[in-house]
Parts: sequence; C-alpha cells; structure tokens
Amino acid sequence: MNEMQQAEQAFFEEARDMLRQIEESLLRLENDAQDVETLNSLFRAAHTIKGSAGLFGFDRIVAFTHHVETLLEHLRTGAIGFEADLAAALLSCADHMGQLVEETAAQIVDPGTEAAGGALLGRLESWLPASAKVAEPQPGSSSGHELIQARLWHLTVAFGADTFRNGMDPLAFIGYLSALGDVCHVACDAPEMPEAEDFDPETCYLRWEVSLQYAGTKEALAGVFEFIRDDCEMHITAPDAAVGEWVEILGRMKGEAQRIGDMLVGCGAVTRHELAAAVAAQSGMGREAPPLGEVLVAQKAANPEIVQAALTRQREQRGEESRFIRVAADKLDALINLVGELVIAGAGANLLASRLKEPRMLEATRSVTDLVEEIRNGALQLRMVQIGETFSRFRRVVHDVSRDLGRQVHLEIEGADTELDKSVVERIADPLMHLVRNALDHGIEGPEERRAAEKPEQALLLLRAFHDSGSIIIEVSDDGRGLDRARILEKARERGLIAPGVELPDEDVLNLIFQPGFSTAQKVTNLSGRGVGMDVVRKNIEALRGTVAIASTEGQGTTIVIRLPLTLAIIDGFLIGVGNSSYVVPLDMVVECLQLPGDIAPACNFLDLRGEVLPFIRLRQLFDIDAPPPLHENVVVVRSGAARAGLVVDALMGEFQTVIKPLGQIFRNLHGIGGSTILGNGEVALILDVAALITLAMNADAKRAPSQEVVRAPGTLRTARA
Amino acid sequence: MGKTVMIVDDSASARTMLGLTLKGAGYDVVEGSDGKHALSLLDGRKVHLIISDVNMPNMDGIAFVKALKQTPNYKFTPVIMLTTDGQESKKQEGKAAGAKAWVTKPFSPTQLLDAVSKLVLQ
Repeated sequence: MNEMQQAEQAFFEEARDMLRQIEESLLRLENDAQDVETLNSLFRAAHTIKGSAGLFGFDRIVAFTHHVETLLEHLRTGAIGFEADLAAALLSCADHMGQLVEETAAQIVDPGTEAAGGALLGRLESWLPASAKVAEPQPGSSSGHELIQARLWHLTVAFGADTFRNGMDPLAFIGYLSALGDVCHVACDAPEMPEAEDFDPETCYLRWEVSLQYAGTKEALAGVFEFIRDDCEMHITAPDAAVGEWVEILGRMKGEAQRIGDMLVGCGAVTRHELAAAVAAQSGMGREAPPLGEVLVAQKAANPEIVQAALTRQREQRGEESRFIRVAADKLDALINLVGELVIAGAGANLLASRLKEPRMLEATRSVTDLVEEIRNGALQLRMVQIGETFSRFRRVVHDVSRDLGRQVHLEIEGADTELDKSVVERIADPLMHLVRNALDHGIEGPEERRAAEKPEQALLLLRAFHDSGSIIIEVSDDGRGLDRARILEKARERGLIAPGVELPDEDVLNLIFQPGFSTAQKVTNLSGRGVGMDVVRKNIEALRGTVAIASTEGQGTTIVIRLPLTLAIIDGFLIGVGNSSYVVPLDMVVECLQLPGDIAPACNFLDLRGEVLPFIRLRQLFDIDAPPPLHENVVVVRSGAARAGLVVDALMGEFQTVIKPLGQIFRNLHGIGGSTILGNGEVALILDVAALITLAMNADAKRAPSQEVVRAPGTLRTARA
Repeated sequence: MGKTVMIVDDSASARTMLGLTLKGAGYDVVEGSDGKHALSLLDGRKVHLIISDVNMPNMDGIAFVKALKQTPNYKFTPVIMLTTDGQESKKQEGKAAGAKAWVTKPFSPTQLLDAVSKLVLQ
C-alpha cells in the first residue's frame, strides 16, 4: 500500500467516524434541539467530509454532502428550525453518505444509489430557504475566453504598506508570474520611500513594473494578486491585440441586452474585481455619478475603445425598433428646404461680412458657415434610405416573368443596405424595371439554348448597389447571351444612325442602343436582345443627373451600370453670368471653358474645337437678354452623355454649391431650365438643363447646310478646365 | 533547503492528503490537529507558511490566526485559510484577523499548490 492509498484509507476511516458522529448528534438534537455545541459539531462533521473528499477528488461524495452541509449551515445559524421530519431526512442522508463512502472505497458506482440520492435531495429542498437553492459547488471559475497567442502585457503593482506585516512576499508574486508567462522585464522603485530616520523596515514601499509575455485572460492575470488586491494598487495594461479580440467577442454576444459591466466582464476586458471596485466607487459618488464605463476608464480598468465598443453593442442589442423614428416625409422635406434657405442666408451674411471687412464679424460668420455646412450634410443624410426595398420588389417581377417565359432565373441582390436619397430611390424604380424586364425578355436565353451553350439551366440576374466616390452605382447584370455587336451595327447603318463606312469603337457600338429611334423597331430589338425603351431609360437616369453605361460579352452576359448622385437637393454648380443675370451649370457636365474667337460671325452657331465641330448657343439670344456683350465672350463646353455643345456666356464666376429649388408648376413646360437657386447676395440664378440645351444646339446645328464650311477657331484658342 | 509549511486541520485524512501534495512539491510539512496543537508546535522552528482550516474543535482557525499574530517569531508568517463557499463572513473574519490568503473548499491539490506558490518563493 503506497502513501496515497494509505491516505485514502485514512479518509474512509475518518468519514465513517464522522458519519457516526453525525448520527449521534442528530439523535441528541431530538432531545435538545437548541444544543449549540452539538449543532456545530454536526456541521463540522459534514464540512470535514466534504472538504477532505474534495481534496481526494471524490466528487460524488462532495456533490451530495454539499447540499447536506448547506442545510446544516442554515440549521446552525437558526434560519430553519429542527424538527422530527428533518431529523429523519438527515439520518437518511447520513446513511446515503455512508453508502457513497463505501462505494467509493470499493470503486463502484451503483445507479440505484444515485437515484436514491436524487430523491433525498428532493426531500431536503422543502427545508431550504429559496435563496440557498441555487448554491452549487463552484469549480475553479474560468471566463472561457482563452487567448491562444502570447502577447506582451504590462503590470504596475504598488504594494500596500502592510504587505510584509501580512506575511506577503512581493518576490513570490513575481516568481508566480514567471510560471504564468515569460517575464521580460521587471523594474522596482520606491517613490514613497522616506528619509532614513522615518524608515520602517516592516513597511513596504515598493512599486513594481512588470512586462510579461502571456497567453491568458486578464481575469487570470489579476487572479495572481487576489490575496493582496485589497491592499495594493494594481493596473493591468492589455496588449492592443487583446483589445481587438475583446471587441470581437462583444460583437458575437447574443441575446438580451446586458448591463455594460457584465458585457465587459463577459468579454474579458474587465475583471470581476475591477467591476466591483468601479461599482462601489460609482455608488459612492451619489447622484452626480458618471456612467460606469467612465468610472472604469478613470480607474484604468478598461480603455475607452472597449467601453465604446460595449456601449455600441448594447445599443444594437436593445432592438431595432428603438433605433428608428418614423417621420412624415413632408416634415423632412420642409426641414431640407429650410436648411437650403439657411445655406443661402449664411452665404448672404458671409458676403456682407467680407464687404464690411470687420474681422470679428468675418470670424463669426465663418463659424456659422461651418456649422451650416454640417447641418446641411446631416439633414441630407436624413433623407437617405436603403435601396433594398426597391430591389426586393423585383423578386416578384423576376418570378412572374421568368415563369411566363419558361425560364429559370435566380435573382441575387447585393448591397441592399446601400443608402441613397429617397427621391432618387423613387425615381430609379421605373428605369430599373425596364432594365430587369429587358434582361429577362432578351438577355437570358431559354433552357435549351443555355444547355447548348453549356451554361447552367438556371440563369443568374444580379442587382447590385454600392457607393463609389460620392456616387451610388447600381448594376443590373445577367449571364445571358450578351449583345450582338454586328447586328446592332448593321441595324444602325440601316436606320442611318451612322454613316456607311464609319467604324465605331466597341463601346460606342453598344451605346447605339440608347439612341432614340433605335428601339422603336421591334425587329431590331428582338435580334439585338435589348433596346426596348433604352433611350427612355437613359433619359430618366440623366434627369436624375446620372449616367448609364453598358458592358457586354457575347455569350456571357450583359451588365448595365447606372451611376447616380447621392442627392438631388444640392449640387456642385458652375456659376456663369450673362448681362446682369447669373446661371448655374452642374459642374460635372462642364468639360472646359474657352474664349469665343472674336472673328466668329454673329449668325454663326458652331466652331471648330481642335478639329471637331462644336455647336453652340448664345445664352444672350436664347434668354433674350438686353445688355451689350462684353469685349470677350466665353464658351463653356458642356456634355451630356456623348453629346457636346458650347454655351456662350459673358463671365465665368467659378464653382458654387447650389441648393436646387424646383420651379413652379407654371414653368414646367419651359425647356432649357431645370430649376433655380438663390445666390448669397439674394439674387436668383437659374439652373440650366444642359441635356435640353445640347439637343437644342444640335438641332440648330443640323439645320445648317452640310456644305457650309466650318469656321476655324484661331490658333490662339484659350482653353481652361473649369 | 526546502521551505516548511504547517498544516492545521482536524481531519487526519485531509492533513495526510495536504501533506502528500506539499511534500510532492518539495516542501517540508508540519501537521497540527487544531489551533491549540499548532501553537504548541511553534517553538521557534522556521515555518514559511501556515495552511489552516477554519472549522476546528478546541481552537478554530480565526482564533488561531489572532493568537499567531501575537506570537513574536511568527507574526509575519503568511496564512492560507481553507474556507467554504457560502461562508463569506468567515473569510472576511479571517482576513481581519490577518489571514490574507484563502483557498475555497472543495479544492484540488493543484489549486492549493497554486496559492502556496503565490506566497512562498521557491
């Protein structure tokens, strides 16, 4: 028999003794229920059995005795009274414990004993106060989030003055740390050390800084100092990587919103002890106490990022509903409108201030301008809605149409959470419907054709939205047969859209399908696969100040790319002047500016721009402005899609952030004007409808005889990018 | 030379088991069966650490620690209290008396050695 077996034998002997003692005590208590010494020894016996059994790892004995011990503790403290029924139950418990001890000694487990134990515990339940019922033996707790990689942690420990008097040895703790990880650096200093005559050898003045390569939790690291935690001042600085992991764990937390402290402890960023200390400090501060997160940061228990992450997560968990407020759209529009007025009024104040040249005034208006800009951005943000809802509508369309056509089509949606202006979303739905129907009608082949082309029978239609440098991109792609360039070219020639013999670059060929008239011929439409109302699609998108492009590979599919501005309410404009009037051209439509050659005849309406004919419109004539032209007139070259034209103006006044104000209903048939805006000085400027003006210029240009010679602009042509 | 640990517990089997654990880890062991017995063993011999149960007949752990703090050669000897879960008040009492370290029952031999090595530099 080895030492271990001897020790176990000793335990079994002792346990039998104790059980006898328990029996005697219980019988004695039947006579005198108030005998304190007997109650104590009864408790102690059960306690000793449990404690020793735990030491030997006899878990069955520990688990059962734990409940008995809890009950005896309540009996001893007087929380429950001694009664005959209870004594009977406890005697049965003692018998059961004896049974467990014998089975453990014999190394057997009888299922019948287990069942009997469960039944006995059920009987004990009725005597236990409610609060005690949850008590279970606690195994060594671990927070469960084990970091795998060793990282550099930093600890500062200022040992309490009583450390030595309490029998604690700072070196022992440092020694213990080196068992946990790799201690890279230890520095000791004693900033509180007094002069020699005041020095007390029993007092600890030491402060340690330790750098530790360690691969565990913060809780476990803090646990090293649990015996001196109450007396020392300790800070643990976690490595950045650990902070990142905590944020990740926070992100994965599921279920009900928790309290912030619990979340931080749960992810391992804050130890239970730190939390308790912070809660105590917070409640000590009374009514004005800062939030717990701030207390934790102030106590250096948590760093601000992790607290912020926890707060964000908490808000997320508090449910979607509370994060949104429903607002009537017209209220929002009214607000945006007011913000627009504010922008204008702010610009007016700014203008006035710069005229007055009063520095304090200038400073004040400048900060107002900055704030107004922020408000404007914020207000525009309010109108942003997700495109997902618009996209989802097409599920039904795709389902119905593909069934009617006998095709299998899978609709995939990407970027449903992409946001864009509410009014843009509303107005993009129709063009998108056109494109989706086109793809289904003409782009995607029937099952037989797909089989023959060795494609999966189920075709793919992809709707995709994403942000790209201040614009939103919406793509409609299919994996159908693609566009037949040769047929498009042939039909375009047939219709006289391009001169015979002219070769077009690939991209231009595809763009032909956007030409008005191209689509009207049903025959061409069916052959080319696309074209139903493509000119209408383009017009609608351009009305939203957007562009549309097409990419197609024969046999592999077609992608239509729509690029739209994020908002319709405000644009970057280019301000021009004619006589006393000002006009705004959307900046992204301006190509370049140049001086109108002086030798152009007043009746002439085109010029040669580096060898190409550029039709132009004199805004003076168009708007019938009665003011003498300046010495040098300027041309603003604008484009819409592939078409270009020049606008002849007096003055170029530069970029200008423009709040678009729609024109009243009575102006709705007015061509060439898209809206209005108000300048800083209170004047109204009209926003030009560039697409309409270009059409106007081209038509006027087309009227000129084909034989008429192009007037060459002089070589001194001045060009400048806007 | 090994460090000496004193075990104070009324359970002989617990003392044996603790003794085996500590001896296995390289400590010398002195055993006391209760507070009074333990005090009588502190006769000037070097003891680096005392592990004491709380619930003992004759003199319990708390009274033992209080007496220890009055004993000249041993007043700075660190004490680990063996407390029980749910006896928070006992733990606080022990701390007030001067036993700043504790191990909660039931514990495994490893948990005990862990606590010991936090207090005694090997």
